[in-house]
Amino acid sequence: MNPALLTFQKLWPALAAGTVGAFVPRRSSRVERLGIALAAAACVLFVTMLWPDAVATEPASTLSNAERFPHLLSWLVFIPIVGGALMLFAPRQATKTVQWLTLGIMGAELVATLFLFKLTPTEGKYWIEESTPWIETFGIRYHIALDGFSYWLIVLTSVLTPIATYVSFGSIKTRLKDFCIAFLFLQGAMVGSLVALDLFLFYVMWELMLVPMYILIGVFGSTDRVRAAIKFFLFTMAGSMLMLAAILFVVLKYKALTGEMSWDLNDLQRLNFPLTTQRWLFWGFAIAFLIKVPMFPVHTWLPDAHTNAPTGGSIILAAVMLKLGCYGYIRFAMGLFPHAAHVYGATLAGVAVVGGILYGALCAMKQNDVKRLVAYSSVSHLGYVMLGIFSRNPASMEGAVLQMVNHGISTGALFLLVGVVYDRRHTRDLAEFGGLAKVMPWYAAVFLVVTFSSIGLPGTNGFVGEWLIMSGAVLSKGTLGQWGRSQAMGAALGVILGAVYMLTVAQKMFFGPLDNPKNRKLPDLTRREGIALAPLVVLIFVIGLFPRIFTEPMHVTIEPWIRDFNARVEVPPVELATVAPKPAAPTPTPVPAPAQGGE
Amino acid sequence: MSLWFALSPLLILSAGGLLLMLADAFSEKHTDLALGAFMTFASAGIFAVALWIMGGVPAEVAKLVAPWIVLDKFTLFFMATLCLGGALSSLLAGGYLPEHGLDRGEFYALMILSAIGGVLLVAAGDFLALFIGLETMSIGVYAMTSFRRTNPRSAEGGMKYYLLGSFAAAIMLYGFALMYGATGTTALAGIRDALASGSFGYARDPSRLTTVIIAMAMILVGLAFKISAVPFHMWTPDAYQGAPTPATAFMSVVVKAAAVATAMRVLLVAFGDKFSSSWGAGWPPVVAGLAVATMVVANLIAIRQENVKRMLAYSSIAHAGYLLIGLVAAWGHGDPSASRNGKAAILFYLLQYTVTQAGAFGALILCGSKGKEAVSYEDLAGLGRRNPAVALPFTLFLLSLAGIPPMSGFFGKLFIFQSAIEGGFTWLAVIGLLNSVLAAFYYLRVLVFLYMKEPQPGAVEAVPMKSGYVTAAMVLASALVLYFGLMPGRSLDMAISAAQSLM
Repeated sequence: MNPALLTFQKLWPALAAGTVGAFVPRRSSRVERLGIALAAAACVLFVTMLWPDAVATEPASTLSNAERFPHLLSWLVFIPIVGGALMLFAPRQATKTVQWLTLGIMGAELVATLFLFKLTPTEGKYWIEESTPWIETFGIRYHIALDGFSYWLIVLTSVLTPIATYVSFGSIKTRLKDFCIAFLFLQGAMVGSLVALDLFLFYVMWELMLVPMYILIGVFGSTDRVRAAIKFFLFTMAGSMLMLAAILFVVLKYKALTGEMSWDLNDLQRLNFPLTTQRWLFWGFAIAFLIKVPMFPVHTWLPDAHTNAPTGGSIILAAVMLKLGCYGYIRFAMGLFPHAAHVYGATLAGVAVVGGILYGALCAMKQNDVKRLVAYSSVSHLGYVMLGIFSRNPASMEGAVLQMVNHGISTGALFLLVGVVYDRRHTRDLAEFGGLAKVMPWYAAVFLVVTFSSIGLPGTNGFVGEWLIMSGAVLSKGTLGQWGRSQAMGAALGVILGAVYMLTVAQKMFFGPLDNPKNRKLPDLTRREGIALAPLVVLIFVIGLFPRIFTEPMHVTIEPWIRDFNARVEVPPVELATVAPKPAAPTPTPVPAPAQGGE
Repeated sequence: MSLWFALSPLLILSAGGLLLMLADAFSEKHTDLALGAFMTFASAGIFAVALWIMGGVPAEVAKLVAPWIVLDKFTLFFMATLCLGGALSSLLAGGYLPEHGLDRGEFYALMILSAIGGVLLVAAGDFLALFIGLETMSIGVYAMTSFRRTNPRSAEGGMKYYLLGSFAAAIMLYGFALMYGATGTTALAGIRDALASGSFGYARDPSRLTTVIIAMAMILVGLAFKISAVPFHMWTPDAYQGAPTPATAFMSVVVKAAAVATAMRVLLVAFGDKFSSSWGAGWPPVVAGLAVATMVVANLIAIRQENVKRMLAYSSIAHAGYLLIGLVAAWGHGDPSASRNGKAAILFYLLQYTVTQAGAFGALILCGSKGKEAVSYEDLAGLGRRNPAVALPFTLFLLSLAGIPPMSGFFGKLFIFQSAIEGGFTWLAVIGLLNSVLAAFYYLRVLVFLYMKEPQPGAVEAVPMKSGYVTAAMVLASALVLYFGLMPGRSLDMAISAAQSLM
């Protein structure tokens, strides 16, 4: 067959979608139609590229991932950071230039992310790794890697950051340059913490996230922004300081046992601590991550931060930053202290269900401020994610990672939508609205779709994640003990409560009489908002209908990870800290066994 | 290598100081004296670095001035650090003094002479040389503190500092005398040998042991006063607030670094024997207690300040607390690796702290101008919007002081806490880390005013000043903060090798 025809065969779904996109919308200008067509074509292209068949037909390359894409991860980390540093020199007054430059840098990041789809997932190992010495005196390395846990979260970051930035351009009018620079640094730091395997590097990236977010909330936020920003900063910093103490303790114990310093997760995982020590260290890490998630009772910073943050900041905070808490918990707290994580897993799962899912949902029900409501719904939804992590079987953990992505998309979209009415009315009080479906039909339609996704209607993404998590929790006798089923039931009750509060919002805002005269003339979604929302709506259905595309790459990592974790829990904790011998180079993640050595 | 070359940093400083005094006396205008002072500090620093690169002062040359002056790598490291601090402070003075009508040439001479005292203090291997260095350094600083003659705060600060400083010096001197009486020597190494020789063991001669402990306590008081550790910190806020800002910068970097270096020498060398440095009967628990008190008290009071300069003064006290943790870690239960890392951590901390703190005061100088100095938080309101070029370096230095990566302050703190945990003081490290959270609150408050608030309507706005000198200091300090933060490896290796030479 001639190459042109082959190309056409590959591209026809995208072309078809583009055509439909260009002709279906009525009342739109030519530019708008072109934009919609391009967006539709890109979305379909995205799906076809991910299609299992498409992946299978690619000839398996004999080269390793690192050889095929050298420094891919470094590019992902440093495109935004270096871009942000260069933006310092951009002209402040030329707002258009600043906007386009920012979107250009984020676009480059997105293109770099597309290369991730070309990676061959390797079972039980990091798919792609980079490692060079950084500060040799203390054995600190620049060690970054990617596997099924971080894969989709990185994609989520690169997709959502440009959307959040782009939609913010509509409402941020002053100090645009500061805003863009903060966003770029934030993106780089988030990707950096998702790929860092060296604990030092991870800590640096983890802290680096704080400052841009602090500025986003404190400078661009609403009335009570300064207090919220400081609260956010201090809560997170208090947690990370405890984590730093624990990191230092682990690193120095490794040094005492082996004589060399290393901050590398792979090295430190070989340590086996006595249970008492593990408990302390585990809490040092876990508190830092649980504050970020946030889990009851350290969640109080979140509603304030969300209520006062600008729309773009809220989107990123909810969609990506909270996930870093869950991710860090899996990668570091569980990775380093398996016994303690196993011992506390069941208790924490109870906290996640009662304090997270149910309490978060009940709080959400009582809110009048829509944004605060969505913030509490985040607390509730992240309770599911944590429940999935604590249940620790393949289904629940895949569900948890998938639910992280889902929550990123649906809550990101919700915050965006709340921002839309806030821009028009400068209030978020539920009592002010009613009957909006008559004046803003498109807005109401999108809002309902996102609401369905958020409450987990079958066919949308939320359903898949919650279903996987709950079915995992039911099967989790080995991890959650006898309470596993009741916790799954609690989570199911949370779904009902979620439907109650989300549908109440939809009802109060969109239906009923349009009796507030201020709402009579509200314009519908603008082009900017439409373009920002379109990919999210498409993703909601893509994940909901074809979840296998998303769970397959995770599965490759999660299954062996859990096997390895269980094997490590089987090894009884020791009286004195020991370190397992270094494995031979090709074996995957090492299993620590009691070995010689002592304190 | 001749002795002249070995002592060159000290000689350059002396010659430079005297020349500047002459130049001041014989010239009509003295606007460029700051440049002269900067050049003096810079060349002295370069000579110190050159000596370092040549492998340090050879033993046969160092022997000529021993035991009064010790010319090891530790001394060289501190010579360079003090000169860096002095160079930055003189640049700040070059902008600040003319702007605020204080442009009298003595300031630079005083600064350099005081720095000579600091260098002597760092190099002193004998209580007599140490005391001469201490007084030389202090007298210059007393004069600089009360340099704003017409300002009552400045006079008050200077007076307070002078009186309390004299008392502290007298107490310390009394301690030296008692020590001499007990051991028969004033050399630090000699004292260590005498204490370790055995006649001071618990059981042997209780009366002499009592003398040693009292002497040790008195010397510790003098040192804690100079480091401004709680509860000997009362002079610090007043002196720092009253002094012209370049003098404050000088005090908080050069004087503090020299005092900490002396404390290291005295405690780790002279009192480094088994008995004086035991957890049961020696100085380590006292220093640990001082460290905790210093951090907690200073941070809590700093939160309540309304004056940025005073807040920075308290923050400088709090930083002394972190340094004292390092001092405990440098003792490290006698574990050689922990001890070496503890010493190195203090050295690196002081190096980066010099740059950061001088930079922060410099940024504060830059925020105000003639008639309206920026002192309170309100004065800084909205500066991030009005003048981003001033606010950005200020942000950098504050984040570094707060210990946020990747600024240099983070690495300073990290290495201090790391060595503390390595030495078995996890609890101290945890207290220190939690204190960093407290500290972050008041550093962030400055950022709040810089970026998130607008000045009250009708308030007199502090207009940022323009000065090539201060701008140069800002550029230099920002570059170094980022350099120490992103690539600390090289300076850390230097700190370790300096730490190893301390014995």
